[in-house]
Amino acid sequence: MTRPGSYFCGSNDHGLSRRGFLGATAAGAATFAADTRLDGFKSQVLAEELKKQNKNVILLWLAGGASQFETFDPKPGRPTGGPFRAIPTSSTGVHISELMPKVAARMQHTAIIRSLYTKVTDHGGGATLMETGRRPAPGFSYPDIGAVVARELGRIDSQVPDYVSMYTSTEGRRKGTSGFLGARYSPMFLAENMVPENIRRLDAISDVDHHDRAALRDVLAKKFNQTHKSSTVASQTTAYQRVRGIMASEKLFDIEQEPEAMRQKYGPLQFGQQCLIARRLIEAGVPFVKVARAWWDSHGQNFETHRELCADLDQAMSALLDDLDERGLLKNTLVITLGEFGRTPNINASLGRDHFANAWSCSLSGCGIRGGVAYGKTDEDGHNVAEGQVQAGDLFATILSALGIDPESEYYLGSRPLPLADFGSKAVKEVLA
Amino acid sequence: MPRSVALCCVLTVILSAPLRAAELQPVDQPIEQVIDYYVDAFIKADEVTTAPQANDATVLRRLTLDLAGRIPTSKETQDYVASESASKRVELVDRLLASPDFAFHHRNELEEILLPERRNDGEFRKYLLWAAEQNRRWDDMYRDMLTGNEEDEYQKAALQFVRTRIRDVDDLTNATSVAFFGVNVSCAKCHDHPLVEDWKQDHFYGLQSFLSRTYVTKKNVVLEKPFGEVKYTTREGVEKQAKFMFLTGANVQIASLELSGDDKKKLEEAIRKTQQDDNAPIPEQQGDSVRQKLVDVSLREGDNRFFAQNIANRIWQRMLGRGLVDPVDQIHSGNPASHPDLLQWLARDLVTHGYDLKRLIRGIAMSQTYSRTSEWTSAAETPSPEYFALATARPLNPRQYALSLLVASRNPSHWDQEAFQQADRWRQERENFENASNGWAGNFEAPTDGFQIAVDEALLFSNSDRIQNDLLRDSGDRLIGQIKAIEDDQTAISTAFLAINSRQPTDEESAAIREYLAARADKRPEALRQAIWALLTGPELRFNH
Repeated sequence: MTRPGSYFCGSNDHGLSRRGFLGATAAGAATFAADTRLDGFKSQVLAEELKKQNKNVILLWLAGGASQFETFDPKPGRPTGGPFRAIPTSSTGVHISELMPKVAARMQHTAIIRSLYTKVTDHGGGATLMETGRRPAPGFSYPDIGAVVARELGRIDSQVPDYVSMYTSTEGRRKGTSGFLGARYSPMFLAENMVPENIRRLDAISDVDHHDRAALRDVLAKKFNQTHKSSTVASQTTAYQRVRGIMASEKLFDIEQEPEAMRQKYGPLQFGQQCLIARRLIEAGVPFVKVARAWWDSHGQNFETHRELCADLDQAMSALLDDLDERGLLKNTLVITLGEFGRTPNINASLGRDHFANAWSCSLSGCGIRGGVAYGKTDEDGHNVAEGQVQAGDLFATILSALGIDPESEYYLGSRPLPLADFGSKAVKEVLA
Repeated sequence: MPRSVALCCVLTVILSAPLRAAELQPVDQPIEQVIDYYVDAFIKADEVTTAPQANDATVLRRLTLDLAGRIPTSKETQDYVASESASKRVELVDRLLASPDFAFHHRNELEEILLPERRNDGEFRKYLLWAAEQNRRWDDMYRDMLTGNEEDEYQKAALQFVRTRIRDVDDLTNATSVAFFGVNVSCAKCHDHPLVEDWKQDHFYGLQSFLSRTYVTKKNVVLEKPFGEVKYTTREGVEKQAKFMFLTGANVQIASLELSGDDKKKLEEAIRKTQQDDNAPIPEQQGDSVRQKLVDVSLREGDNRFFAQNIANRIWQRMLGRGLVDPVDQIHSGNPASHPDLLQWLARDLVTHGYDLKRLIRGIAMSQTYSRTSEWTSAAETPSPEYFALATARPLNPRQYALSLLVASRNPSHWDQEAFQQADRWRQERENFENASNGWAGNFEAPTDGFQIAVDEALLFSNSDRIQNDLLRDSGDRLIGQIKAIEDDQTAISTAFLAINSRQPTDEESAAIREYLAARADKRPEALRQAIWALLTGPELRFNH
């Protein structure tokens, strides 16, 4: 009889056996492991340390693809530059579009990457690439950044959701995916309402009965759980035990609980309000919140579109940075602005800019980030990256590094090792604190 | 710098050796005996402690979930437990396998293997049910799905396997390889292995060669061009042309069609038209169908081990929660089967018995290996899963769970007992249930390896009015409707346990619920409803154990 060995190269280089791994992380999901080049115990300790630090991410998703020219990489006076000026920022020598004056004044918190080179220029493909940091492979479903962060920074028994995604526009709506990490790390998705589904107790049952009924469930489940030791069996009771905590987090979605002055800072629009909810969520320990703002896809009237959308972004993002900073949360919270791609240097006949992924921008603020830096350069007219090319995987690695997560640590897909950031990716050290 | 995302496969040529007939257990041995022989030998060799056989009620529940895709009704449980027939298990297995329930469940399980990313494809499900109802040979199903005739109603539906994937030939290649050969060739990047890397790519692109000529017209007719080769670039930057080569390394000769440059251009133009215009004439098929060649070579004696072992392994996984080769899409020499001789024997048995999947399922269902308890109460270390010394608690897949919730929450006296005796009425009953389960099944995630149940599911059960107003409705057709009329608490509790957990409650369990009800004596109907909720949401219903 043969014993199951490792799957790929016939050696046991991958360290922990599947069994050993299952034992080491009985509470976690099973097919993927923390970096098994460390021994199981050590990686557990590291992971727990990380979780204690309460690091969080707020992703401001610019759905449809924002123009780098009208945001972080202006080219005033060039044929591709459009009508808007560049203005100085609080970081000497760094200029951004005049459409973002408030963010400019807070540039000390923010690093800009101006040299994204990601090539994919359809909305779906671009979004998948930027969300997962890699190109899709048939037969595999990769988790997006929210699911990865939820898994790495969330607590298994957390009383709050660990990945919340708000996407209330109809254009380009995407639910987000936990891929092979499984349903445990799927986002709580808010599409129709500002409050998640099934979070509120029905009037038909009293609060006491709702609580006691769940307790009776656990009593009746106990013997089965004790005689069936598996992380899958345990996950069901864990899920039920999280229900009351998640229900208690309903108030986090209620911005009426914020002072009027605070709500005004974030602005009257839904995007601003959702940013405020995002702050409330991460303050309560939610590791990853995505707020999507649509629809930046300015094939026509690019400048009018950006005049409007950038004003919203500028207000909400600057309010968010101030608010996080004042609460002492910014050092542990990474704020990302990113979309599926940027927009063409060429201005088309409808005064629009089309899809473009060869030289575009994003920003990273707060946790683990060296503020005031503009990394990478595009050429004079913004057609190509001139310096410091950054691919999707590199950005993924940079985000993970900023959070203290080793981008080279590996998940195991059955037996196949898969690094958290795509093979060969490198974090952009210049933007890391 | 273009980052190489070349698909390099994890294949190794020295695959499991060809079927070695001489050393295996005899051909004419009953399947269940052969299974127990090999499994017990491994257990004995390593002195592993095994779990005892499960009790009657548990075996009935497991068999009903595995063969009918639902939990048993209260009456089915009572009858089985009360029966003193020495052959009651084989009678049950044969009854279930012959029942309409089996075909529906078998259809649902095959759908998960064949078209998991496109569940509820009506055409494909129609085909699968048709095939399951006549226990169509697995090799014939494979032919239907890859090379079916567009003129035939069912074969046309079977072609959905190809039709829904052809826009991405990488996807079609991998899906075909995973579903029929148990080999996932889509490794984004594998370990450096300079000596064999090139021919690994040869295998991936070799397989792709058989599929790359396929296209669909605008009217969704699956056709094949008479030309087209696959070219690819190695990591060293060398461009190569793939051979028509199967995973075993077998090369297939394809007669090349002699077309003049002009004729080829005309044909290409005609093909393009069919893809753009509904009314374009369909060019006549010329030369060999390379998909047909793939089917032929993969079923050929000497090259059929992937095809046979894959389906044996997948059926084994379905019944026991883990493949003999695990994961099931990793059949290769670096990942040997836990019981290689058993896998070979089962594969050989399939080949010699016309790829009869029902026969294999029956054999597994009758084995002692299958019917061990899933409870581990011994002080000894829990045996590692590859010994199959202990049954695994398997999460129900979405349809099993949905159907089981519907069965559990139904008034047990509302079953039409006569329908169970008449195939056509039973079929209609099952179809109704199946349709009712559709809406529920969509709420649950399909189990994956290392599956974790999401908090969304617990929130749904805790707070959705659909649970309250449907499963927990107190109308006469629901379990609650029956139980609220029962005055004695203990009888009510036993009735609920039998309906939901297919067994009698223990004294402790009864006491816990009695106490809960006693504290709410002023609102007994509500309290009963809450107690039923606590059982419906429990692990015993959620898992096949």
